[in-house]
Amino acid sequence: MRIYAIAVFLFLYVPIGIIVLFSFNAGRHASELRGLSVQWYGKALSNPFVGDAFVTSLIIAFSVAVLSSFIGTTAALALQRLKGKMRVLFDSLIYISVMIPGIVIGIATLVALVTVFDFVNPVIASIWPEGVKPPKLQMGYASVIAAHTLFTMSLVIILVRARIAGMDRALIEASMDLYATPWRTFFQVTLPQIYPAILAGFLLSFTFSFDDFIISFFVAGANTTLPVYIFSSIRRGITPEVNAIGSMVLAASLFLLVMAQFLLRDRNSR
Amino acid sequence: MRDSSRSNHWLTATLLTPASLWFVFMLIFPLIVILVFSFGERAAVGGYAGGFTLEQYANLPSRLKAFQNTMLIAPAGTLLSLMVAYPLAYFLAIRVSRRYKLILLVLVIVPFWTSLLVRTYAWIFILGGRGIPTLLEFIGIEGVRLINTPGAVLVGIVYGYLPLMVFPIFVSLEKLDKNLLEASSDLGGSPVKTFMQITLPLSMPGIATGCMLVFILLMGEFLIPAFLGGGKVFFIGNALVDLFLQSRNWPFGAAVSVTLVVIMLITVSLYMKLTLGGKTGRDVSLM
Repeated sequence: MRIYAIAVFLFLYVPIGIIVLFSFNAGRHASELRGLSVQWYGKALSNPFVGDAFVTSLIIAFSVAVLSSFIGTTAALALQRLKGKMRVLFDSLIYISVMIPGIVIGIATLVALVTVFDFVNPVIASIWPEGVKPPKLQMGYASVIAAHTLFTMSLVIILVRARIAGMDRALIEASMDLYATPWRTFFQVTLPQIYPAILAGFLLSFTFSFDDFIISFFVAGANTTLPVYIFSSIRRGITPEVNAIGSMVLAASLFLLVMAQFLLRDRNSR
Repeated sequence: MRDSSRSNHWLTATLLTPASLWFVFMLIFPLIVILVFSFGERAAVGGYAGGFTLEQYANLPSRLKAFQNTMLIAPAGTLLSLMVAYPLAYFLAIRVSRRYKLILLVLVIVPFWTSLLVRTYAWIFILGGRGIPTLLEFIGIEGVRLINTPGAVLVGIVYGYLPLMVFPIFVSLEKLDKNLLEASSDLGGSPVKTFMQITLPLSMPGIATGCMLVFILLMGEFLIPAFLGGGKVFFIGNALVDLFLQSRNWPFGAAVSVTLVVIMLITVSLYMKLTLGGKTGRDVSLM
């Protein structure tokens, strides 16, 4: 049994290890290990396309994380007050958002937005003053952020709601009995209790958005995110540089995960 | 308390507004558009031209291979993941001491939250021409081709989605009252009998949840077949990317998407009816 468990852990981690090992390859060919060096990291970091894609991914992931923590938390707080049919409706919407394949969300968003833009852009152009170039709505940051946020805000709702369910109601009642205003009760009693879940949701949203390929592939327009860049590089051929970029992406998500886990554990130990 | 229930309603509605906007504009509206498009026709330059026709749905058999692959490999991959995951979940929940339990569980889940793209790419490397086949040549086995086969796609699937399968099974086994196992063996039940009559039935909810999660994600999978199936083993997801981004046949792509979602909904509700008797899995949690 123990041997089996070790084998599965090896199965999970050896491939990651191989990518990291080969990213330190001193040779020029991806699959022949010839000494160790960090040259490919230097190459990857000085590649302007990688830099641009990285910044794009960061902007998107950060916006997604901020938006989803806010929307998800407010919705979770409201949902505990909701009963009956509305509650069932929102529960279904939340689960559909989490369950529906990313590829369907990507495609549906692409098609819907392009249709809306095709309709709206001529209208804007017609009411825009002569001689000034009218703004043109198109796929970009906003569309990716909006599409990612659908999934991640539902994730935050699930996390925060679980935390609210485990919260001590007596504290809130005590605060109310002592004539604290609802605002004060919220900021001094409720928020401190749910904030680990919000922060964990923030980090998971960031990680999801940063790692997502398929939704960005459809709706990012001209803005290439890092996973989309890696995908097209792999299509062109495997190089040690791709290994280096991949290793950095893994390291970034590992770092965020360790933080999220730390926060969730903090929650459990209290 | 005057007006307090009315102001409470207002507060609830305000708090729900942003989320509702998102559900309406980013989920419901796009899905309606896809549904409408699926009854339309392809414009001459690609994209969509209005109309009402069932032509797109009649054309579905032209992508039969993608549907067949998905409907064969997704359940097979789910089953294989279950077979690999169950012993591990059992080990973690029942055999491992409390001290190491959490850290080992975290180690299983962490890969799921890192880039699936990079992790799948690792297998191109391992299964590709200079990976395992080269190692096999050293020991005298030549001409083995691993990548771009259904087997490679299955390995990628198990690797990618194992954490998602282990977690719910672990949760259901963890909740299981260990006294039941002792009682069974005290009463002379063999280990096999104890497992078949107590452990397995009581972990069914976890198995059902895990299978459902993995199966749903596999139905829409694109990356794993794209990397490890190399155009030979392709899923509905790959057909969709081709239809929307290469041939720009939006109405047909829309019809394929709608069909995918419908198949998914039918399978999932059937599955839940059969395994849980209508109760939805309450262990759906990814952390």
